Amino acid sequence: MLFNSYPFILLFLPLVLTGYFWLGRRSNLAPVIWLAGASLAFYAVGNWQFAGLLLLSIAFNYGVGHLLIVAKLGRSQRRAALALGVAGDLLVLGIFKYAGFGVDNINALFGTHAAVHVLLPVGISFYTFTQIAFLVDAYRGRVAAYALPHYALFVTYFPHLIAGPILHHKDMIPQFEREEGKHPDAHLILCGVIIFAIGLFKKTCLADGIQPLVALAFEARSPSFDQAWLGSLAYTFQLYFDFSGYSDMAIGISLIFGIFLPVNFNSPYKASSIVEFWRRWHMTLSQFLRDYLYIPLGGNRRGRVLRYVNLMITMLLGGLWHGAAWTFVVWGGLHGAYLCVNHAFNALVPTVPSVLARPARIAGAALTFLAVVVAWVFFRAESVAWALRVLRAMADPSNIVFGRDEIAALLLVSIYAMLVWLAPNTQAIMRYDHGNRRVGEALRAGRIRPLILYGASLVLAFGLLGIQSHSEFIYFRF
Amino acid sequence: MQGAVTSLKRLLLACIACVLGAAALTFVVDPLQLFRPSRLAAFYSDDTRMQNAGLILSQSFDTAFMGTSLAIHFRQSDIDRALAVHSLKLSMTGSNSRQQAFVLEQAIDRGARRVIWEMDDFIFVDAADIEADPYLFVDLYRRTAKGIASYLFSASMAKESLFALLRSVPPLRGPLTRAAPFLPVKFALSDVDDIYALPRDFDVTRGYNAQKTLAAFAYITDPVRSRFLGEGYGYAAMVRHFEQDAIGLIARHPEVTFDIYFPPYSILQFVAMRDASPETLKIVTDLTARIAQRLTQLPNARLHDFRAIKAVTHDLDNYGDVIHHSPAVDAKVLRWLASREYQVDPKAPLASLDELKAQVEAYHVPK
Repeated sequence: MLFNSYPFILLFLPLVLTGYFWLGRRSNLAPVIWLAGASLAFYAVGNWQFAGLLLLSIAFNYGVGHLLIVAKLGRSQRRAALALGVAGDLLVLGIFKYAGFGVDNINALFGTHAAVHVLLPVGISFYTFTQIAFLVDAYRGRVAAYALPHYALFVTYFPHLIAGPILHHKDMIPQFEREEGKHPDAHLILCGVIIFAIGLFKKTCLADGIQPLVALAFEARSPSFDQAWLGSLAYTFQLYFDFSGYSDMAIGISLIFGIFLPVNFNSPYKASSIVEFWRRWHMTLSQFLRDYLYIPLGGNRRGRVLRYVNLMITMLLGGLWHGAAWTFVVWGGLHGAYLCVNHAFNALVPTVPSVLARPARIAGAALTFLAVVVAWVFFRAESVAWALRVLRAMADPSNIVFGRDEIAALLLVSIYAMLVWLAPNTQAIMRYDHGNRRVGEALRAGRIRPLILYGASLVLAFGLLGIQSHSEFIYFRF
Repeated sequence: MQGAVTSLKRLLLACIACVLGAAALTFVVDPLQLFRPSRLAAFYSDDTRMQNAGLILSQSFDTAFMGTSLAIHFRQSDIDRALAVHSLKLSMTGSNSRQQAFVLEQAIDRGARRVIWEMDDFIFVDAADIEADPYLFVDLYRRTAKGIASYLFSASMAKESLFALLRSVPPLRGPLTRAAPFLPVKFALSDVDDIYALPRDFDVTRGYNAQKTLAAFAYITDPVRSRFLGEGYGYAAMVRHFEQDAIGLIARHPEVTFDIYFPPYSILQFVAMRDASPETLKIVTDLTARIAQRLTQLPNARLHDFRAIKAVTHDLDNYGDVIHHSPAVDAKVLRWLASREYQVDPKAPLASLDELKAQVEAYHVPK
């Protein structure tokens, strides 16, 4: 089921919401079970064949987590339990996500013709990473014992299940345990609807609206210079609005239930360096990779050279997490290299004088955006060869078409660029403060209400009118 | 708390009002001309799969012209002049036989008594059933409640309607009509003749020449890509689709005359198959033999085969790649259809195919 679909908005969400608050008047546990069941139904509607796998994964991880939290195990036994849990998770992820890729590479290397056709369970990367973090924290002694329904809801919680954000148990489970959260809060519902409306508009009117232009670069046999640039920029903005729209919708829906989800986007294309970009793009994944991969690898504690090696490993694996293809590995490798250059630059170049700070920031932002666009070409292309073809076209200004279609595309891309760089983001508009569990304080105080309300109603209306029958989220594939 | 409840109600009511307002705007302007011919100046879209639904309802015609990208750049006015008909061009890039038969059926129901049908072998490859086809808005053609709702409750259509409304304001009409083709609006064409036709100032020599044709040949025969030549080709399935979609439609409408033609691909199309995918060439020749034998037996169908006209197909300057021919060939196609010069003789339905086979066998690719 998609957030940007009429069955979800007009049927599923009102039904689940009504049940949740109705049960919330009677018990503290029943709404949790109801929401977990609804989340499972949400998943099963489009992926019924993998609902069993999701349940098995929950049972397995909860069992291992129980051993780590409750059972009195020795040090080596705890280490073995953690290894078992993480290996089990990675094995399942490996089979479903990487088996085909592995076999393809073996075939290419040895000239064999083995074939593996494994369907990718939607959301497997998200729920696997979520649970690995849980197990590692349980091993580190940072997890209290949780009841199974709360744990199951933490993993399956439908606003995040399919495309993130990646949740942390310490953030989520205490919210599920709170009794006050199970009673409707009109302010949170109002703010949730507004945030959902903004996300829906980003997805249906902005991301889906620019999608056809992507074909200029990525479906043309030999794109011209302007087509390659316009297509690549169109994809850059499509991905941005698609993913940030999804993240906003997830936050908005969750807020209606009284639950605060972490922010996953913070205007990443405004970043003035790659380091800053990764603090603003898919923030929960960046935090996961930092806390559960980069730091365990040694982080920056083992000297400069190993720091760069760790960065490269982290980003290469981050790339492979996005998809089982060499294009994603190259994308991850490029970002790893960008990060190494960025850190080396920071270490070698003295601080910029304050008079040059603004020009330096603008130059940094332009360079960062350019580097990100180049990397997105690999992210989007069918193959590395195809990506190189697009990049060659982007570097060849002698071949320019600039006909009607290209002029129209340029206009559209310019509008999107202005939205990205000049418009405030959702959390700024709504003053969404995940850490302090506060949102829309100005709205609550009665300030700027008409403007926000009628603007939101227009945005919601166009978001609803923009719903198309054949639209999906790009991050579903990861 | 009470304030938030009131605000929430206000927001939802205002949203419903906006949605209904947008639907009303689309209904009144009706950019697709689905409910009535345009009251304002009419504008058209290049998105033919959608535009055809409105054209069939709003235009008057006696002849429907159907095909794929091979038949996309014909102009209705040229068709009318060459064949002395009142035509409606319904060609759709990359369309399959299910989509074409469905759209033709709608056109016949609205009065078409003659169909001119450019028939490629690849339209018969397996594709989604018409009811599950995400690219053809069947409910819009049928004007079901779902189709009309998806038309009226659409942000994209509301945007088009608003733009059409602005274009109808006298001081804005001229500048906005001139700017429309360069703006991100779908209904940008002011002349029905321009729907999916080459721009009138198109540089034909630059777009169609032997260099481009040979480059395309090298591209599709490259060992890395040559497997795509036969992608989706399966003789049994293709015959099944031909019988269902083409023969089924023709047999259901004995009152309609069908002029069907095999387009003049460059010879390199078949040579590419000969060199890189001979099994595909066999499927194509077997299938078109079957089509020729079947169609020539139908009283209301005439088959024209232009594939062996050496003067055109061997002149690579006529092509932009190995199959797409220039507007000069479009004109010739219309002349040949009018003169019936290359109509397949029911007594010798395979004669032109045999000639083509001999040409393909003998052809040497220029170095």
